Amino acid sequence: MPTEDCQVGWVGPHAVVAMPAEIDAVNAGKIRQGLLSAVGLGAAAVVIDMSGTTFCDSAGVQAIIDAYRQAAANGIELRLVATAVLRVLTLVGIGQLVPIYPALEAALAGTSTGQASTPDPGGGPGGTTVGGGPQAPAPPAGA
Amino acid sequence: MTVHASRADLEDRLRDIQVITDGALSRLDDHDLLAELLERTRAVLRADTAAVLLLDSSSGELIATAAAGLEEEVRQGVRVPVGQGFAGRIAAEQRPVILDHVDHDTVLNPILWAKGIRTLMGVPLIASGKVIGVLHVGSRTAREFTSEDVELLQLAADRAATAVQSLMAQGDRLAAAALQRSLLPSALPAADGAQLAVRYVPGEGTVGGDWYDVFTLPSGQLGVVIGGVTGSGLPAAVIMGRMRSALRAYALDTRDPAEVLRRLDRKMQHFEPGAVATVAYAVFDPGLDRVHICSAGHYPPVIAAAGRPAELADVPAGLLIGAARGARRRVATIDVSPGTLMCFYTDGLIERRGRPIDHGLGLLRRAVTAQPADVACAAVMAALVGSEPVRDDIAVLMFRRLPLGTR
Repeated sequence: MPTEDCQVGWVGPHAVVAMPAEIDAVNAGKIRQGLLSAVGLGAAAVVIDMSGTTFCDSAGVQAIIDAYRQAAANGIELRLVATAVLRVLTLVGIGQLVPIYPALEAALAGTSTGQASTPDPGGGPGGTTVGGGPQAPAPPAGA
Repeated sequence: MTVHASRADLEDRLRDIQVITDGALSRLDDHDLLAELLERTRAVLRADTAAVLLLDSSSGELIATAAAGLEEEVRQGVRVPVGQGFAGRIAAEQRPVILDHVDHDTVLNPILWAKGIRTLMGVPLIASGKVIGVLHVGSRTAREFTSEDVELLQLAADRAATAVQSLMAQGDRLAAAALQRSLLPSALPAADGAQLAVRYVPGEGTVGGDWYDVFTLPSGQLGVVIGGVTGSGLPAAVIMGRMRSALRAYALDTRDPAEVLRRLDRKMQHFEPGAVATVAYAVFDPGLDRVHICSAGHYPPVIAAAGRPAELADVPAGLLIGAARGARRRVATIDVSPGTLMCFYTDGLIERRGRPIDHGLGLLRRAVTAQPADVACAAVMAALVGSEPVRDDIAVLMFRRLPLGTR
């Protein structure tokens, strides 16, 4: 059985939340709680470390979105590290809300070089663009 | 409290407890169990009335649900706000309450005074540490309820709470399944030159928030929708139903799929805050030779042109519905040659614990070939589901543009 809970550690001013190998409806509730409490710790930035995560379904995505909303409301910066689940996170558009890095070091440095994905400024070429604006990430729901 | 209980008293008490905890009650279905339990409670406590009110968490009111000797409470749909009146106080304070004088000040429900009830005793129904209702008994004669009477009533309440929980879970399952059935069109609209086939499989005995939809538009275009609301059971199915009808309404207002999803997102964030869903909306031109697709966090369809291997449609990833305001929504326009098959699906089809999604997507790509829609549907289900039980619900919609010269 993989670790069900997420572990919070500190690297300098940043809180790093290590996520379990698999996230679905079974453990998403606990993970949501873990993420929300990490957001409340007053860190400069909260890094959700999914480098060890190989499976994340829609329940896990919802937990990340809830954490994003809470972070945005508190003015806390959120960053993601993902490799195996990068595809899922990109597909559901999380990359538009939270920058996704390929490794923890890059996420801690917060550098844009070598990023797997960045919040994309609005209006990419070759498509109909509706809504959005020059600033991204988009403001939180209910802001 | 009786200080010197006689042996006869103790035996009476034991018999009373047995009447309420009788194993034979378990053989009744939950609804009959509740009715029988109320009759027995009334008899054991030598009361004139017994009633169960259940908490409706959305309104914060207790609603009369079952009664013995007080049937009009249920028939008239009596509602008592938590915190007010006799039953409301029990729910709010989560402890037994005994009333020696029933009057306008202590009891809200006029049926109780009209019945001539003089004394009332009630206890909370508690399940998983939460109050889910109230059980009370009443007497037309003035009497003193003892602490042993309270204990007996609490015993009956615990029994009732178990039955009620099971009833509610069952009711939710049935309602969610009925809702799904009514919302998922089994008869798809006939579209000239198009062939459609669908599958919906509930996950582990309960339905979820997945849906598909197909409709023709006044412009002569054909709209195809696939989506899924995060969560399961009745709450997800209800939100799914609202999204489905809202999307249909916006589809009549504007031809741009991105604008339809933008409006849907705005509506959801305002009226269903906290809900998260993925949707892909595809609009086929009247000749079916082109499709315009916009995705809000939903997996792109798999497309197989005649005689060619299937591929994942190149649809820009858009933020899922309900996540944040002002998400960018982009549309991909794709040519659809005669004979082409398109497979729309929800995440339950390809996601499995212990297997990367690229593996699931690979299986799907290999299973999809340009063939009749119903054959393709069966092939996809066989390849990705087989005989394994699935945790999540699965919706699949197969669209095929018929080869030229066929009907």
